[in-house]
Amino acid sequence: MSSEHNHPHDDHAPIVCDEKPGYYEILEISIRELLIERGLLAASEIRDQIEILDSLSPVHGSKLVVRAWKDEAFKQRLLENGVTGALEMGITIYDDTDFTVLENTENIHHMVVCTLCSCYPRAVLGLPPDWYKNKQYRSRAVIEPRAVLAEFGTIIPDDIEIRVNDSTANLRYMVLPVRPKGTEDYTDEQLIGLVTRDTMIGVKVPTV
Amino acid sequence: MSTENLVKHLPNDIGGLAGSHEPINLTEHPMLSWEKYCHALLDVLDYHKIVNTEEKRRGTENLGSEMIGKLTYYERWIVSASNCLLQKGILYPDEIANKTKEVAARYNITL
Amino acid sequence: METIEHNPAKFAVGDEALVAQKFPIGHYRVPMYMRGKKVRILRRLGKYINPETEAFGKNAGDKLWCYLVTITQIELWPAYQGKAIDKLEIEIFEPWLEPVKLSTNEQ
Repeated sequence: MSSEHNHPHDDHAPIVCDEKPGYYEILEISIRELLIERGLLAASEIRDQIEILDSLSPVHGSKLVVRAWKDEAFKQRLLENGVTGALEMGITIYDDTDFTVLENTENIHHMVVCTLCSCYPRAVLGLPPDWYKNKQYRSRAVIEPRAVLAEFGTIIPDDIEIRVNDSTANLRYMVLPVRPKGTEDYTDEQLIGLVTRDTMIGVKVPTV
Repeated sequence: MSTENLVKHLPNDIGGLAGSHEPINLTEHPMLSWEKYCHALLDVLDYHKIVNTEEKRRGTENLGSEMIGKLTYYERWIVSASNCLLQKGILYPDEIANKTKEVAARYNITL
Repeated sequence: METIEHNPAKFAVGDEALVAQKFPIGHYRVPMYMRGKKVRILRRLGKYINPETEAFGKNAGDKLWCYLVTITQIELWPAYQGKAIDKLEIEIFEPWLEPVKLSTNEQ
């Protein structure tokens, strides 16, 4: 088993570990080094990709949501085409997927799952949480969404439709939550703080 | 019970199978350094179509339910990628054996 | 990209279709819970490489139409405990969709 300790590291430094790696870490280093020795990939490409991974954050999604709340024309463009909409805010969908925004309304609540693996809008929300990748969420979200939402503390009224999106091909979904009432005077920063990762997966709703 | 479902129904295809008796564990672990390297490696393998994302998914499914249940997420990824590279004739078993032995020796580990 | 459409989409938005009850082995992206279910087409998403061949290293070639489809939860799960208005949406590739044959009563 690998250690639980998550030590900080300099992404540009050579890979030096001060603790003993587990079997799977050794396997990863080995495969990477063999492919680099073959000239099939370059160490710099791995470092560049780690920089991309380090730059990912759900704050990118939060900023899209807040702009959509405040700018109706932008919201329409974002709903029409998530990829070009995100690009307007400087967010590149680097993995060649179709970023798709699902708008919650007073009548519809969306939640997102990938039952077959762990499809997730990484370019906008970062890497998915552990529970999103685990079998309990993946198997239950499609068959009992209201019970799953309740485990996140989210109770959706009976007259609101729950719409579950199972991500199985090229679409990568982000939920555009409803702006809570009473936030008319909030600054952008305050609004961004309300739009957590989980509200954009659809397992929570922003509240004040 | 017939065994055909083990062939037709892939172990990652779990939508609707579990019930409320299996609560969602909301504990999150910070990504380990080696996990980030593993993620980056698979992304680069996909960019070059050496092992594309769909091949990696297939490789994970093909680990079978026991390994899927016992290995962690990125452990499954690196074993899947290794098997794909072997199946495609890009790497061979013995060079993986020699390389893992060499890497382990750097850390004074005997595999 | 293409000037002539050699492979027009077989389904239009609003059409009903049946998800095929068939069993590939090795790899698939249509969950078992969708097999044999009647769905409605919400959106034509465009054409993509078939994931069932891509999974075996085929990175190019003919692309297939893919659709976003919808189904109510109570049609999907006989014992569904939620509300009748609840729905599920999922992407399905064209070879997995069959036209719904209308019975004579419905004609």
